[in-house]
Amino acid sequence: MEIIVCIKQVPDPEGSQDCFVINREALRVEPRGIPPVLSLFDENALEAALRVKDARKERDVKITVVSMGKRISNPVLQKALAAGADALVKVEDDVFESGALDSYATAYVLASTIRKIGKYDLVFAGRQAADWNAGQVGFGIAHLLGIPAVALVRKVEVEGRHAISERVTASGYEIVKTPLPALLVTSNEVGEMRYPTVIQRREAKKKPVVSWGMAEVGFERRVQNRLVLKGLFAPEMRKRQCHFIEGETAAEAGRKLAQRLRTDGVI
Amino acid sequence: MGSDDAVLVLVELGTDKEIMPLSLECATAAKRLAEIWGGRTVALIMGNGVAAAAREMACYGVDDVLLVDHPALDGYQAELYVSAFLQVWERQKPKAILMGDSLISVDMAPRLAFSLDAGLITDCVAIKVDETDVSFVKPVYSSNVMAVYAFASEPWIVTLRPRTEDAAPREDTGHSQVIPVEVKLDLSAMKTEVIQRVIERDEGVKLAEAHIVVSGGRGIGGPDGFEQLVELAKVLNAAVGASRPPCDLGWAPSQWQVGQTGAKVAPSVYIAAGISGAAQHIAGMQSSKKIVAINRDPKANIFRIANYGVVGTCEEVVPAFREALAEILR
Repeated sequence: MEIIVCIKQVPDPEGSQDCFVINREALRVEPRGIPPVLSLFDENALEAALRVKDARKERDVKITVVSMGKRISNPVLQKALAAGADALVKVEDDVFESGALDSYATAYVLASTIRKIGKYDLVFAGRQAADWNAGQVGFGIAHLLGIPAVALVRKVEVEGRHAISERVTASGYEIVKTPLPALLVTSNEVGEMRYPTVIQRREAKKKPVVSWGMAEVGFERRVQNRLVLKGLFAPEMRKRQCHFIEGETAAEAGRKLAQRLRTDGVI
Repeated sequence: MGSDDAVLVLVELGTDKEIMPLSLECATAAKRLAEIWGGRTVALIMGNGVAAAAREMACYGVDDVLLVDHPALDGYQAELYVSAFLQVWERQKPKAILMGDSLISVDMAPRLAFSLDAGLITDCVAIKVDETDVSFVKPVYSSNVMAVYAFASEPWIVTLRPRTEDAAPREDTGHSQVIPVEVKLDLSAMKTEVIQRVIERDEGVKLAEAHIVVSGGRGIGGPDGFEQLVELAKVLNAAVGASRPPCDLGWAPSQWQVGQTGAKVAPSVYIAAGISGAAQHIAGMQSSKKIVAINRDPKANIFRIANYGVVGTCEEVVPAFREALAEILR
């Protein structure tokens, strides 16, 4: 069984606000002092794929990670290989500058890449990228490949030629059955990706990595963006003066907090 | 009906087929956009047995209400809803389509965008109008940066975050017409089959309606810590929330999640226990009137936006805080 997982490299979203320096002229966000990491939502997607691999009795699952960007760091993507993916396909080109392509054009490139890889039973994508947060690309890939998409998947099992997915809904969850090949957009409820061991990290360096350019995947410049980025600005943080409540012990501070909230009419 | 400068609101209904408040906020946004273009506002109701909801929607000042009532549309199912929408599209091609940002639009809006070859701006928090130029503000980089987007082509699709606009007021007179639209849905052509729908009814106060929210993060320590929070919530008649890590770790149900990928809340009081204050969480709660933070790290980001703070572990602070509150509120 062939599984493809789409993973994006992003600046660490857990960095503080001043790490995201805004270049208003170039309409770019220039991360400062934070390392590139795998987008957390895509780690969820890979974890879901790895669980399918773990559960498969036939032991015939191959997971290929596809990543596109202007320049993709091998050490960053090696984490995905160390966690259990079998191969990496990088699609690199200067025109893939972060934010230069909208979801439509991005989906077009990734769908073309997946077509070039050729064989796939399941394609996984995270619910959104941790940088531009659009949440559209997975659906676009499915649309362009002409395969069904199931979104907000927190758990998946493969039974014969069907994927049985649990998807998160506002009031609970639902179980849906989809014929393969299918694309699954995972939700963050899948949980964190497993942590690779030192041995797995070492082994990861031996796994196959290929790099393709724009022309090789058949992307043409005439694929137009549907959106225009007009500006970037820093959000207003509603900073407040914090009154720290102290006590001899933390428990006492907790009791005093209750009294203070009452006195101030908050509760 | 026909191709025009109409703005269409895709109305979302709740479990009791009631109109979601967010859809009424979309109606306000639709009126703002339609005024610029001199176009009509249209509300679209889809579902099974939803004629009453359509009549109700006619009271909110939209020009037309389109009603698609079909037994197969009982509960959201992506392929069926998209198919029904595309049949409505054949008769009415609006310039813009607005939806509330919800777990349904997260799934449906991108499908519509790719089906209609349309641009989509998700999770919009502000609409900017400069004469006839319209742009949309959306948080990016986990809410550390705000981006302003405009559309390069039509139609436009936008999903709006709660409280971006005021809800359209209910009007006593001048109600709009409800226009039924027939659709043909071929169930056998659907690839994805819903085998089971599971409703996990939350016993407690709902997040969106709560005056007080008690929320836990990784610093809560585990599922036991959340039991403590549930007890605290009972004392305060509060809803329980969580930041993303506890939901991902299975300590708390996903319905409790507050932040960019969860609920956006603005209660009178928000109590954050063991939450460090990542931008993506703050994005979902910073409009709360008063914020109370409990965290072991005095440098935690959450204290920068809190009104009251206690430095200490949740394990120590929360039980004492709860007991004292129970005493005070008795």
